[in-house]
Amino acid sequence: MSLSVKNLSKSYGDKVVVDNLSFEINEPGVYALLGTNGAGKTTTLRIILGMLAKNEGEVLWNGKPLDPVRTNVGYLAEERGLYPKYSLLDQLLYFAKLRNVSKSTAMQRIKYWSDRLEVNEYIFPPKLKGKKSSKANRADQLSKGNQQKIQLMAALISDPELIILDEPISGLDPVNTDLFKSIIKEEIAKNKFLIMSSHQMPTIEEFCSDITIMNRGKAVLQGNLNEVKKSYGRVNLFVKSDVDIASYISSFGLAIVNKTPSEYHLKVQGEAQAMNFLAKLIGDNIPIVKFELREPSLHEIFIEKVGDIHEE
Amino acid sequence: MKNSNIAGWKDVFSFTFIQTMKSKTFIISYVILILIVAVSMPVISLINSGGKEDANAPSPIQKVYVNNQTTLGDIDFSEVLKENAFRHISFEIMQEDYDTVSNRIEESEQTSVLLTIAQTDGMYSLDLVKASKGPVKDNSIALLGDAVATQFEKYKINTLGITQEQAAILYAPVDTKVSMLDVSGAPIVKEDTSISGSEYGFIYGLLFVVMMVNIMASTQIATSIVTEKSTRVIEYLLTSVKPLALIIGKVIAMLTAVLLQIVSLVAVAFISNKVSAAISGGNGKDVITTYLPANIFHSLNIVNIIFCILLILLGMIFYATLAGLAGATVSRLEELQEGLQLFMFANVGGAYIGIAAANILMASGNNAFVTFAFLFPLSSPFILPGAILVGKVSIPLVAASLALLLIFIVLLFKFVAKIFETLILHNGNKIKIKELIKLSKTV
Repeated sequence: MSLSVKNLSKSYGDKVVVDNLSFEINEPGVYALLGTNGAGKTTTLRIILGMLAKNEGEVLWNGKPLDPVRTNVGYLAEERGLYPKYSLLDQLLYFAKLRNVSKSTAMQRIKYWSDRLEVNEYIFPPKLKGKKSSKANRADQLSKGNQQKIQLMAALISDPELIILDEPISGLDPVNTDLFKSIIKEEIAKNKFLIMSSHQMPTIEEFCSDITIMNRGKAVLQGNLNEVKKSYGRVNLFVKSDVDIASYISSFGLAIVNKTPSEYHLKVQGEAQAMNFLAKLIGDNIPIVKFELREPSLHEIFIEKVGDIHEE
Repeated sequence: MKNSNIAGWKDVFSFTFIQTMKSKTFIISYVILILIVAVSMPVISLINSGGKEDANAPSPIQKVYVNNQTTLGDIDFSEVLKENAFRHISFEIMQEDYDTVSNRIEESEQTSVLLTIAQTDGMYSLDLVKASKGPVKDNSIALLGDAVATQFEKYKINTLGITQEQAAILYAPVDTKVSMLDVSGAPIVKEDTSISGSEYGFIYGLLFVVMMVNIMASTQIATSIVTEKSTRVIEYLLTSVKPLALIIGKVIAMLTAVLLQIVSLVAVAFISNKVSAAISGGNGKDVITTYLPANIFHSLNIVNIIFCILLILLGMIFYATLAGLAGATVSRLEELQEGLQLFMFANVGGAYIGIAAANILMASGNNAFVTFAFLFPLSSPFILPGAILVGKVSIPLVAASLALLLIFIVLLFKFVAKIFETLILHNGNKIKIKELIKLSKTV
């Protein structure tokens, strides 16, 4: 299986929101779409899902134009949505039916996911003797986090081959964040194709093998995350010492990226410069608590690529 | 229209229909309407009868004092006593003066009445006086008055020596017919296209029902679309169905729900009418027969009924699609009223054109404006169904109207299909008509 997005363009009047975007996913795993607000990520996802018409380009699934109505696609939208007044079970069954999942299979999956996501009591509220079931089986009675869980159930109810997650863990508490992450890992283990859009760089680094960073509709950086990082080299040096090492830093001409009371984040030209700096500190018997030379983080790469652009 | 564009509409239909039927708002409004309709027939019947008593029930009047001030001599009221209601009444020539008798009736003899027959300016008048309080009500006086007046009329004719046959001729209504002939002597036939009061009432009533159904169904469709937009459910739905399938499923579901509601309300009205007539003991006609005499449906046949149903359905589809479009132009429920302005303008405007045409039809018959109202797609679903059922429209005119409505619907659907995809994901201020047209040119 493969997903191929070729020369995708979308504009509203004169405003270009996606500009000649291309990327490919040939292996199961998570592909990340990154960008500032208004960069065109959600529009790209909506075009892939067939919700929006594209002006140019094509989206191919296994070499053929992707028809989301016929392809088994799961989608978790950035702006979550459930019918506020309808029963959760009714709407989950409806979403399953729209995805051509039989009622019995849908019920099995709803039971599985409601256990897994710990929302059983809301979907199957216990019936009290002589009383109507609790109102908590409606979306407007649930917390935001629980609504998000129901939404994730809706996205996964058809056991989709291609899963599109737009900001899946935004707004979740740490416990539920871990729960969502574990489910994403399970889907990766099932050899699913995932596209994820997120502003949370550590999460992207945790899951994604390949990325596209978008800015104003264009791809400004694309490729395998490890290779992208390697291309930057190990230029980030983190030094922590019990004494002030400011004079050493200035004598070596190192740029200070960030400084906390106990730690410096420095930018070096290369590993040789970092080793010379380390040798000098050791030679002068400077007590070193931490000396870490590493590649730039995704956050740093992201800021470098789009940080100078104001949010739209 | 590609199949994939409407695939899934049945699922949308079944879910929307079931949820609508299950919704508290729908159930409560439905129960209220059913109660109103069920109660309305007996209430209308009661109002019509004005609290009339059963004509056959014994009258509370026991004695009638006859104060005859005319030269007609002693009037024989024995015929009145043949009626069941008055069998027990005694007619007695007033021997005392007027004030004595009337005071006695007021104070102690409240089951008696005083009948004064007078002759002034060549006219006879019959006055019945009863006690201000007591068992004799106005209706009892009215019933006796009718019987006495009829008997007095007969007595008067007999006194003049006119036979029953002569009297029948004398009182027969005059129906004068003027025929026109052309130069060759052939009659010039000018068809009377005007409608009667009952026909007007029927057309007006049906128009009102169609308008209400349109408003109810359309408002629910628009509300449903805005709710899905404002709650963002729409994003999930659009991964499984195309916007066109979504709107088709919704339109049909809402129309079905409202039609079911209306059909059951009509059924309740008929049952209530029958029950009401049965309870009133056959005292006069039932309410429906009173207002809808059978003779107004003399042209009713299966073709007319099919045309009528088709027109109503097409009209509903047209207005429902318009409401769906209106719902898609706004993003929040509180903006819906503003969004529905165009729809309401078209709906109420169309209904008003229909009402004006019905008024003209009653006053002077068919003319250019009426034909326009029959053909104009905004007004035809309102005025034409009633006019078809009372047989005031020719088949070619109905066919032309149906064709025009169909063309209008197809054009509207094409327009909606073109812009609905963009509209349905639109979030922000209400989209104006100018922007809609611009949008349809750019997508």
